[in-house]
Amino acid sequence: MTWRRGLPTVGLAALTLAAYLLLASPGDGEREEVRATLNLAEAMGGTDTTGYALALEPRPFVFPVDHGPHPGFRTEWWYVTANLDGDDGRRFGVQFTLFRNALAPEPADSPPPLDWATRQVYMGHLAVTDVAGDGFHESERFTRAAAGLAGGTAEPLRIWMDDWSLTGGGSSDPDAPEAGAVFPLSVRAATERVAVSLDLSPEKPMVLQGDRGLSQKGPQPGNASYYYSFTRMAASGSVTVDGITYPVSGAAWLDREWSTSALSQDQVGWDWFALQLADGRDLMVYRLRRADGGTDPLSEGVLVERDGSTRRLSAREFSLGELGRWESPLDGTLYPSGWRIAVPTEGLDLEVRPVREDQELNVTVRYWEGAVDVMGSDGSGSVSGRGYVELTGYSPPGE
Amino acid sequence: MSLLRRSSLRFLARHPGQMALTVAGVALGVAVVVAIDLAIQSAREAFRISTETVAGRATHQVDGGPGGIPDSVFTRLRVELGIRSSAPVVDGHALSPLLPGRALRILGVDPFSEAPFRPYLAPTDGELDVGVLLTEPGSVLLSRETAEALGVAPGNALPVTVGAKSADLRVAGVLTPGPGLGRQGLRDLVLTDVSTAQSLLEIPGHLTRIDLAVPPGEAGDALLSRVRSVLPGGALVRTTGTRTDQMAGMLAAFDLNLTALSLLALVFGMFLIYNAMTFSVVQRRELLGALRAVGVTRREVRDLVLGEALVTGVVGSLLGLALGVLLGRGLVKLVTQTINDLYFVLSVESLTLPVAVLGKAGLLGVAATVLAGVPAIREAVQAPPRASLTRSVVEDRTRRLVPRAAGVGVALGALGGLLLLLPTRSVLVSFGGLFGLLLGMALLTPLATVAFVGLLRPVLFRTVGILGTMAARGVVASLSRTAPAVAALVVAVSVTVGLGTMIASFRGTVVRWLDHTLQADVYLSPPAPMASRAEGALPRGLAERLRDVPGVEGVSTYRGVTVPTEEGEMRLVALELHPRGERAFRFQDGDPSTAFSRFRAGEAVLVSEPFAYRRGLDVGDTVTLRGESGTARLPVAAIFTDYGSDQGVVMMGRVGYDRLFQDRRITSLGFFLAEGVEPEGVMEGLRSRLGEGEAVVMRSNQGLRQASLEVFDRTFAITAVLRALAFTVAFIGVLSALMALQLERGRELGVLRANGLTPGQVWTLVTTQTGVMGAVAGVLAVPAGLVLAAVMIFVVNKRSFGWTLQMEVGPELLLQAVGLAIAGALLAGLLPAWRMSRTSPALALRDE
Repeated sequence: MTWRRGLPTVGLAALTLAAYLLLASPGDGEREEVRATLNLAEAMGGTDTTGYALALEPRPFVFPVDHGPHPGFRTEWWYVTANLDGDDGRRFGVQFTLFRNALAPEPADSPPPLDWATRQVYMGHLAVTDVAGDGFHESERFTRAAAGLAGGTAEPLRIWMDDWSLTGGGSSDPDAPEAGAVFPLSVRAATERVAVSLDLSPEKPMVLQGDRGLSQKGPQPGNASYYYSFTRMAASGSVTVDGITYPVSGAAWLDREWSTSALSQDQVGWDWFALQLADGRDLMVYRLRRADGGTDPLSEGVLVERDGSTRRLSAREFSLGELGRWESPLDGTLYPSGWRIAVPTEGLDLEVRPVREDQELNVTVRYWEGAVDVMGSDGSGSVSGRGYVELTGYSPPGE
Repeated sequence: MSLLRRSSLRFLARHPGQMALTVAGVALGVAVVVAIDLAIQSAREAFRISTETVAGRATHQVDGGPGGIPDSVFTRLRVELGIRSSAPVVDGHALSPLLPGRALRILGVDPFSEAPFRPYLAPTDGELDVGVLLTEPGSVLLSRETAEALGVAPGNALPVTVGAKSADLRVAGVLTPGPGLGRQGLRDLVLTDVSTAQSLLEIPGHLTRIDLAVPPGEAGDALLSRVRSVLPGGALVRTTGTRTDQMAGMLAAFDLNLTALSLLALVFGMFLIYNAMTFSVVQRRELLGALRAVGVTRREVRDLVLGEALVTGVVGSLLGLALGVLLGRGLVKLVTQTINDLYFVLSVESLTLPVAVLGKAGLLGVAATVLAGVPAIREAVQAPPRASLTRSVVEDRTRRLVPRAAGVGVALGALGGLLLLLPTRSVLVSFGGLFGLLLGMALLTPLATVAFVGLLRPVLFRTVGILGTMAARGVVASLSRTAPAVAALVVAVSVTVGLGTMIASFRGTVVRWLDHTLQADVYLSPPAPMASRAEGALPRGLAERLRDVPGVEGVSTYRGVTVPTEEGEMRLVALELHPRGERAFRFQDGDPSTAFSRFRAGEAVLVSEPFAYRRGLDVGDTVTLRGESGTARLPVAAIFTDYGSDQGVVMMGRVGYDRLFQDRRITSLGFFLAEGVEPEGVMEGLRSRLGEGEAVVMRSNQGLRQASLEVFDRTFAITAVLRALAFTVAFIGVLSALMALQLERGRELGVLRANGLTPGQVWTLVTTQTGVMGAVAGVLAVPAGLVLAAVMIFVVNKRSFGWTLQMEVGPELLLQAVGLAIAGALLAGLLPAWRMSRTSPALALRDE
């Protein structure tokens, strides 16, 4: 689910400053904004990977170090999604993502940096889907990784930007270093309207995606990311909307991914699915969409069994069909809405429906990411579940 | 009615010179008022816009002590308290060899925190990559105009010195202001990343302030109290408006003094108008009498003259507005220079032309004209309805008015004196008193003229002969003409004497102060954006490197900082005082034997006279100082004389400063040389120990003294300009009055010529008479001027700036004043004398 942000992320990193300066200014009456014609995406040289580390081949993952940031790569993220139920049955979806972006490669022999000097910038997204309250609250922020305002450390695990954070708890466990000092993982984030406070504990072991954690996105060497996931974690805590706090519990999913270059020229975006079935299985599939509308053969997926064992799915092993469309009220962008996913080798035939159609994040680079319901059968009986879907590359980038 | 108007027009058309002088009087008076007002408003507007641009939408700001606010405070605001509507700012000044004489403002910001504050600072060049601000230290953004003024383009290096350090910045791009934000806002602004600014200003790990956008109401109050809970000692939260007001408030007395001077010019203009209008009515006495005789009512006559006054006022005011705008362009430079020298760094893009200022001055001009025309209107209305009113009747009436005018004059003068004696600090009241005195003197002039001429007559008889007596008598005989002229001359010359004496006294006081306050032999400081005080800091360790240069016997170190307080910025100086430096202080109050030891130990402070005056402090009162390391309430050990800042300054021993503040830097050094050592050699030695990129200004005692006096003279340049302008207006008035008087006497002189007076004797008669008036005016102006000087020195200056000056009366200035009056009067007699002497008696008598 990771590289899914590849394209926008480069764009995001590039647009970060300008966009925030220009677009994020809150309702102002006094002065009209300067309309800049910045094309930072180009200026940032999104395709120039000189000086960055590349994901060229499988590597050993070392924990807990790899839970922390990898500043040599251009982009990285800590991606949490969760489907939650309140004590009173009120249902919520939560997406909380911390992105790290390097504005420029880290210098090889850098002098000890000054307090504010940095090339690393963090971007945060928080979206809360309030199903019963008929609300979708998204928020975006940027913070430089300097002066203690944002950044990441592996030991103790803490990724933060301002008062948003992902913090590891517990003590380190030499037998399971990838989990020891990490869980329970605390999510803390708040905006003026919503607040999320969740503790996450894994119910399955970590999954290395792709080929031993190397997830190839484009045919060229290096157009790949390092990618691992915790596909099922017990989540408990609270969600606050408009001053009312709801105790919640449910299931969460963590994706960790870092890369320098991912998508190729002819790839325009992706549809990504992270589904947690009631029978204990988790299914992740993504479809890389090509400019010609076709599906890139590098699309793939993984099925995680109840016991944590995994099976990699190639593009040929699953099929994806759209059941409907939803038009964004912002600019008329058409997003698919509702899907049929079939994994014939597993006998799975699933129908995926968004819990509400309007889960588009109106942020610097817009995308749709939302909580979904899953219904279907696995050949022996009916299955159901919940999950998260991400759709990128539908809205034209920038203005 | 149209016939009346036509008669009015005809009269004016036949006396174009008279009309022109009246209009000129209004125009000049209005021009000076407008010019000063525009200059002040432009400076204030420039200050407001620049401040607002930099403050953006911040509602509050946190200002730190001299060392700034540690980064960690901001981090706590963000991370612990989650206050996102906050932005770090590192603010300071730089100088560039590419733009001498203009300071650049370094504004270091975090682009990621800027959205709620300064969105209009976004660069607009398509090719610009804002990320370079972070990725390439030293990158800066400038407005297009500033870049052009500096002669740099994107990609170029921008050499600067900040404090005592030179650095090469790189222009990364150009900012284009959006609508609603003029070029003024971005003028001389160098926008950069907070990390670049920290390293330029050498305050690693510290911010100069934190901007906050706080919502109104309870939520905002709660937020502010959370902010306060993490602030270190010495830091202060204020609304941005408060700070702007406090800064602008520093200019209040300066502005008021300039405005008062400009109003003086208008008052002189009114003299001129009064003269010309009264004269025009007197000339038409017969016409007006005839008109009344044929049934024209008093009301119609009144409207006629009032109409003339209004037209004159409007035309003159309009001309004055145009002239004032031109004049204002020059004055705004002088005003800005003074603000830069004395108060704060300010760069004014252009003269602003607020309609309110123009309208106000226009109305003032018309009102002044009508007011000055009231006597003329009264005279016209009183013309009895018969063919003619003899001149003698007018003069008789005038003579009867003399004692009454004197009485009113004494009353006005007394009122003025009373206002001055009021135990108030109001500068406005002081100027009211000053104007009262001035008017009182003017009204006393006729009586004084009569008395003086009486005294002069025998002298004139003995020296010039019968013509002398005639000349003297002529002055008294036509008092209705001569008295206003003499009064105008008295006022003009006395103001010249008063201002001249005040400036000379001030300068003399400052010279003596410099002589004792500059004790060290060599001074070393960073190049400063403001002339009147050392700013910034010397490179760390420089003082230690320079202490033992051969020939140096000892060193005083000076650390000048601005500390935010609830009452506004406080100028604080930490001194490590060499014993020889003690002589720099002259105490007005306080015991020198104990003051220095308490000062050195950090147990007490010394405050300057303006500081004590402003805050109402006496020796023994306490001054509260809030530093990062604690708060101290220190007693005032002594009040010392200081003319360096009208805002005042608090001095404390370095030991005490280091206890309160974490700032360890030094702003400037004073070197005391061993006996017989030449400063030049030592300066050479000091220079050789400077490191690369260390830019300092070194001055010998004499050099600094010279530079200080240059600043002083620059500061008073605008006063001198106003003094000259006011005098010009008055002089034109006198010229016109005397010329009118002599021209009016054409027939009288014709009779004398017919009776055998030679052209040469006409010359003697006319010039003696104007000379007598000049002498009278000069003699009266001297005491009047000295009174004005005393008031300005001991009341206005004290109340405006808190300074005690020693009055110095220069005999040459007084002689100059008398000479000026006589020369002016003689000059005014030249044209009439020339004309009278050339006119054939027959022609002059043709009317008979």
